[in-house]
Formats: sequence, C-alpha cells, structure tokens
Amino acid sequence: MSDEYRSSLEAGAALAAAHGPDDPFAAAIRATRMAMIITDARQADHPIIFANDAFCALTGYDRDEIIGRNCRFLQGARTDPQVVSALRTAVAQGQNVAVDILNYRKDGAPFWNALYLSPVRNAAGEITYFFGSQLDITSRKQAELAFLERRDDLQIAIETATADLQHALEQKTALLHEVDHRVKNNLQLISSLLLLQARRTPDPVVRAALRGMLERVNAVATVHRRLFQSEDVERFDISAFIRDLVSDAIGTSGRNDISANLDLERVDVSADKAAPLALLFSELLGNAIRHAFPDGRAGVIKVSVRRENGCFRIEIADDGVGVATEEPRPGFGQTIVRLLCEQLRAECETADAFPGLRTVIRLPVNGKP
Amino acid sequence: MSDHTPLSVLIVEDEVLLAAELNYLVEEVGCRGVGHAMSSDEAIALAASLRPDLALVDVQLRDGPTGVDVARRIARDCGGVALFMTANVKRLPDDMAGACGVIGKPYSEHGVKTALTYLKACLRDGVAPGPPPAGFQLAPAWAERWGLGALQKSA
Repeated sequence: MSDEYRSSLEAGAALAAAHGPDDPFAAAIRATRMAMIITDARQADHPIIFANDAFCALTGYDRDEIIGRNCRFLQGARTDPQVVSALRTAVAQGQNVAVDILNYRKDGAPFWNALYLSPVRNAAGEITYFFGSQLDITSRKQAELAFLERRDDLQIAIETATADLQHALEQKTALLHEVDHRVKNNLQLISSLLLLQARRTPDPVVRAALRGMLERVNAVATVHRRLFQSEDVERFDISAFIRDLVSDAIGTSGRNDISANLDLERVDVSADKAAPLALLFSELLGNAIRHAFPDGRAGVIKVSVRRENGCFRIEIADDGVGVATEEPRPGFGQTIVRLLCEQLRAECETADAFPGLRTVIRLPVNGKP
Repeated sequence: MSDHTPLSVLIVEDEVLLAAELNYLVEEVGCRGVGHAMSSDEAIALAASLRPDLALVDVQLRDGPTGVDVARRIARDCGGVALFMTANVKRLPDDMAGACGVIGKPYSEHGVKTALTYLKACLRDGVAPGPPPAGFQLAPAWAERWGLGALQKSA
C-alpha cells in the first residue's frame, strides 16, 4: 500500500466521519447520478480522497484504484494539452474552472467529459479541498463534430458552386465583349465601304444616296459606341446619344453657318429601342440640315428632350425656310420615318413654326401608347 | 516639325478597307500618310524606318491583340506619338501604353477629322486648344502635358 494511498484513505475516512450517514449533503453526494470526486488540497499533488459510485461507473475503475491518485490519470493520448494547462492554471490560482476534456475509461475507451472543478475553503479562507463533477457529453460532442464536418462539406460545396458561377460569368462577359467588338468593327467596315464608294462616285445623285446611307449607318454606330460605354447594357441615354449625333451631323455637313441649341434632359430608353430611335432622329435631323437652310442661309437647329405626360418628347425645330418654300423631300427618308414610328409606337408631327419647321416625336415611356 | 511640314502618319490596322479610308481622312486634314502596317512586326519595323510623327494603332492586328505593345514600342523607341483607334477602349491599360489617347470605333468621318485636327494643334503648340472633341479620349499623362490635367480629373 503506497503512502499516497494510505494518507488519502485516512483523509477520506476523516471527511466521511465528519459527515455521517445522517448528513443529507453527504448522502446526496454519495447517491447522485452525477459523477463527483473530492481531492485533498493540503496534500502534495492533490490526491483524490473521495469518489462517488457514479464516478466509478463513469470511469470503469474500482474505488481502490481511484483513491490516492491525481485525477490526471483519466487523461490520454488525444487529450488536448491546452485544456490540461487551463485546468492546472485554475487549480494553482484557486479558481473555478469548467472545461470539456477528452478522458479515457479503464478499458481505454475515450469519452468527452464536461468537467467542473471548484475549490473548498475553510473558515480561515485557505483552500482545503477541490470538488469535481463530471458529465459524459460524448454524444453531444459527436453531434457537434458531425455538424462541423457537414458545415465544412457544405462550405466546400458552396465554394465550388460559386467558383463555377464566377467562371460562367467570366465566360459570358468575355463573349459579350467579343460580340460587341465584332459589331463595332463591322459597323466601322460598313461605313468605310460607303465612304470609299462615295469618294469614287462622280454622279451627285448616287453620291447623295450613299451619303444618306452612311448617315444612317453612322446613327446606328453612334448607338453602339454609347451602348457598351456605360456599365448598364440594358438602358440607353437618349440625350447623350443626341448630343453626339447633332455635333457629328452638323460637322459632317460642313455647314459652319448652322448652329445647334440643345436642351436635353437625361432620359433612358431600353436598349432595343435605341437603334430605331437613333435612325428616326437622324432622319429628321438630316432633313433639317439639308433642306431648312438653302442657298447659304444661316440658322439654328433647336433640339430638346424631356419627359412629358408619360411620354418622352423629342423636338427638332429649325428657323429655316419652312415647308412652303422647301424643296420636295425625298421619299425614302419619309418612309423610314413612318415605319420607325410604327415600330416604336411613337407619334411624329411636323408643323410650321414661323419661321421654319418643328417636328415633335412622342415616344411612350413603357412601350405602351 | 515646322508649321509647313505636314504631320507624317503611320496607319497600323489589319482591315485594309478601314486603312484605305482612314488614309483619305488623314490626307483631308492636311497630314501625310506614310505607311500602312497590318501586324505588330510590320508596324514596329515601319515605325523604326519611317519615324512617323503619329501612328494610328488598332489593338487587334493580324497577329493578335498586339497593338498595345506596338504603341508602347513606338512611344519608347521611335520618338513618335501613338493614338489608339479601337473598338475595345475598355481593354486598354490605364497608362494607355504611352499613347496620347484613343478614338473609339465605330468612329465617324467627322469624329476622326476633328480629333486629328485637335491633335495636330496639341502637337504643334505643346498645349491643348481646349477640351478634347467628342469621341476622342486623351491619356491622363498627355492631358497633363498639354495643360488639361485639372480639367480631365474633374470631367
């Protein structure tokens, strides 16, 4: 029989003698289903001097295998050293401590132990005992670990799915850029072809027709240049486009004596309306530039864009010669205007403005008349 | 370069029809088209031998998206000024590879002529006559050089 065992046995017997079978506190500790031990803080290495039946049942040891040992005998290979160190610190400082620690039964089977250790002080305030309670929480811990594993699996699944989506988006964006690039280059090619032919055509009527087509291609090109400059490829700002087109059309005409007066509110239409609207506007603007100011007559073309009663209202007004004295307008341009208005469900009215002409386009905001 | 010597211009563009038409526009604003290259090797060789004042450079050339590299080499090695003409304005590097700016495709006849006229004035005077015309975007470093630093930032 070792010295530790004997002195622990004696200390335990003394404690038991002080708390006989009629002491309800002692009876409760002996009989409770929660595993409990008491260690002697006044002996070196705090040996266990009392263990209840629940503790023996939990750990699988007989009482005489328990008494006299420090409770670290329950620790084993996979016990977390950080938890052990936290326990040691708390005991050294005389503090309460609660930890979840991996312990081992006599048969070597591990179990998760929710351990609570607390010092007991005498009247002088010095620590005489520690009592410990142990609760087997293995099933709760296993559920927690399983949950964490599932969460990790889920996390990996989410990351994989996100990466796939990201990749798909990148491919789609690259494709969009490629298509945009080709559309722009092809529009450039078409306008270069028209320009090249116009340069080589001696017949003024044919040249005017080529120039007219160039103007229309240019209107569509102006839309495409603007369309992908903004981040939003669904919406299209009419005013920005009109500003570009007016300066370009007057510039191309070489008519330094025609000036523009712009009053443009920012107005967005859906991208699918942008090209037909651009063609319509370009046709009306081209008419004003070509016909309102004959024989070197100087003038101003006023363009305004604003919202009005659920419509977008686009006005093109010139202070030119007006309809009575104008040259007859070419038929194709008028046909384009009529057809595009039909497509856009837009109303287009041209009236004398004394002086000049005023054309007003009313485009329903949501595509409804 | 004096006022009387027209600006010499090298066109770097793999679409021959675009290049042919662009050459007309260059001549119409009083510059002199001195050559046309369709690939990066051709462009760099021509720039080295012709020493053009200005190179109009498309990003996509016969040998791939090599225009950016061409512009960088021309700006660094040949003493000329490069100007991008591309449908892929967003793909250009932030410093525009040393080029003075970019004209976005599809450009118009008027847009190119206005931009080239403006650029001529900048190169002749060393200072911009005003903000760049519509469709012509200046590189930040060149805007600063031509006295438009503050204006570009506020725009």
